[in-house]
Amino acid sequence: MATNAIRGSMAAPAAVATPEIHSDTTVKWFVLGAVGYFAIVGIIALIIAAKFVWPDFLGSISYFTYGRMRPLHVNGMLFGWLLAADMGLAYYIVPRLCGVRLWSEKLGVATSVLWNIIILSAIVTLLGGYQKGIEYGDLPTPVAVLVVIAWVMFGINIFATIARRKYNQMYVSTWYLMGTILWTAFVYLTGNFATLLPGVTGVNQANLTWMYTHNAVGLIFTPAGLAIAYYFIPRASNTPLYSHKLSMIGFWSLAFVYVWTGAHHMLHGPISQWLQTIAIVFSILLLIPVWAVVYNFIATMKGQWHQLNDNVSLKFLMSGTIFYLLTCFQGPMHSLRSVNAIVSKTDWIPGHAHMAVLGTFSFMAMAGVYYVVPRIFHTTLHSEAVANWSFWLFLIGGLGMFTALWLGGFWQGWQWNNPSIPFIDTVVALKPVWMVRFFSGIMIFSGIVLFLYNIMSTALGAGQAKAELARS
Amino acid sequence: MLHKTDSNAILFVGAALGLFFIGGLLTTVAPPLIDKSWNKPFENTDPSKGPTGKLVAYTDQEMRGYRIYIREGCKYCHTQQTRTLASDVARSGWKGVPSPVSTPDEFVYDYRQTFGTKRTGPDLSRIGGKYNKEWHRAHFRNPRDLVPGSIMPPFPWIANNPDELDALVAYLQTRGRAKDWRPDNDYEK
Repeated sequence: MATNAIRGSMAAPAAVATPEIHSDTTVKWFVLGAVGYFAIVGIIALIIAAKFVWPDFLGSISYFTYGRMRPLHVNGMLFGWLLAADMGLAYYIVPRLCGVRLWSEKLGVATSVLWNIIILSAIVTLLGGYQKGIEYGDLPTPVAVLVVIAWVMFGINIFATIARRKYNQMYVSTWYLMGTILWTAFVYLTGNFATLLPGVTGVNQANLTWMYTHNAVGLIFTPAGLAIAYYFIPRASNTPLYSHKLSMIGFWSLAFVYVWTGAHHMLHGPISQWLQTIAIVFSILLLIPVWAVVYNFIATMKGQWHQLNDNVSLKFLMSGTIFYLLTCFQGPMHSLRSVNAIVSKTDWIPGHAHMAVLGTFSFMAMAGVYYVVPRIFHTTLHSEAVANWSFWLFLIGGLGMFTALWLGGFWQGWQWNNPSIPFIDTVVALKPVWMVRFFSGIMIFSGIVLFLYNIMSTALGAGQAKAELARS
Repeated sequence: MLHKTDSNAILFVGAALGLFFIGGLLTTVAPPLIDKSWNKPFENTDPSKGPTGKLVAYTDQEMRGYRIYIREGCKYCHTQQTRTLASDVARSGWKGVPSPVSTPDEFVYDYRQTFGTKRTGPDLSRIGGKYNKEWHRAHFRNPRDLVPGSIMPPFPWIANNPDELDALVAYLQTRGRAKDWRPDNDYEK
């Protein structure tokens, strides 16, 4: 396949399509809902960060206790914000890459309504203590069934759009989104239903849970996030993608390698040593799909870095790329038994997890939202300056949180490895770290508020502008 | 060959699922068939092979306590695994006696695995028998009365509910007791 053809046609197929054919109703529903949940769940995140510093804060009310708010924070951010934003952007990207309208806007809006029912049920059931007790799979079974139904509705809509595509060749973002839909289906069923089968207990259940939890990040948020980055980096910079071959290496190695690594969450724990070793080997191999993707993104930006000065979407995309490189270097390193003996179970791990889900994939999703919202409402962004502020709050707050947790977690791990230090002393030692995390959280939350304000003002302002136009 | 998947969606779906299922099946379905200790309850009567003892199923009361443990999300701050690390063995120990390492056969009756990912509070895999019920009641009412500097939340709705408190303490006392590791059977009740 000639490289020129990819650089020419594959990287910029959307330019061929006329924007008027897309009504984008589903995109609006999903994206605006996701941004709203980002802010609502952000409040929960701040509350649980505060509980580390002031453990009695909201402490005597069962609904607001840490053990119930943490799963709400995790599920709310993963499903209410990030997955909903990813789905919304998929409804934007796929029809444009295929050169046809979305198969059914009605089905899309119905999916969004169902998604809102799921998130609201999650809030009520998780605070009520009806959690299923499986990490990331905390939603009670009836709600999990609704998630499966919504996912099938989403999958049908996207695949039917792809089946009717005008351009025969599919761009890399389309592969990643198809992969997301297919793998998520099986990963979600494993974590939420296979784990509940009779006789699946103890270590057996833990192994299935880790297959789910690990791949929720690796085969849901990673391919969805990369689909977004593969689409919006060339779009936002108006530059063709560097290499089609590299994107193939990245995609197919991800498809094969990621699913083997779940057991690295139980290194040194009560799970078969040989399974731990398999997980370690495949965790190291993960460097291949990650470096292939990162090299491709960085090489695409060659000679274009000046565009970051005044392009907020590109700022988010390229910092997300750097965070992706870092978080996916940490992952394989944590899988080494010697490193794992220090960092596992410490505060380092939430530092790592937040760099993946917030620093990498939320940054990519926000880049997409900043890019599409003005376009789907046929207007301009309410304020470039406020968008820029939101970026710097996210970046500085995020870095503050990540580095505080890494340093604190590493220190904590060293203390744990010396059993002559009483455990409670290792808790007290971390209080300054949790204080820094709380104040970094305030910065991140301020970024969310500015993001919400800017996106909502853009959406509402567009309506007002149209109304004024109609009156005059 | 994979080049063809660029333009053939059906081939793409087959390849993406095929590659996924190789690792997916080999790491989820195969391991419990290969390692029988995942599904066989612990039992040992020979002291030369390590601690003796037998894993027994939960009573109704212990099961109620187990469900409270899940309901309150305790596992988000407490792990339940004494790993093969010297420091874990020492920290799970009690009164100078190191604890045995956790093995898969100790968790066969766990309807929800509670190994945990984050150790904000201490590991609970060998908590059974270390503290009596009065200690736990006072601790659930306000952890900082007994452990200054602790950041565990208070649980007054459990401490003040005798039925729930008894059930939760009964569950906690089972933790790590399949293996009889304490000298002179000095477990608290």
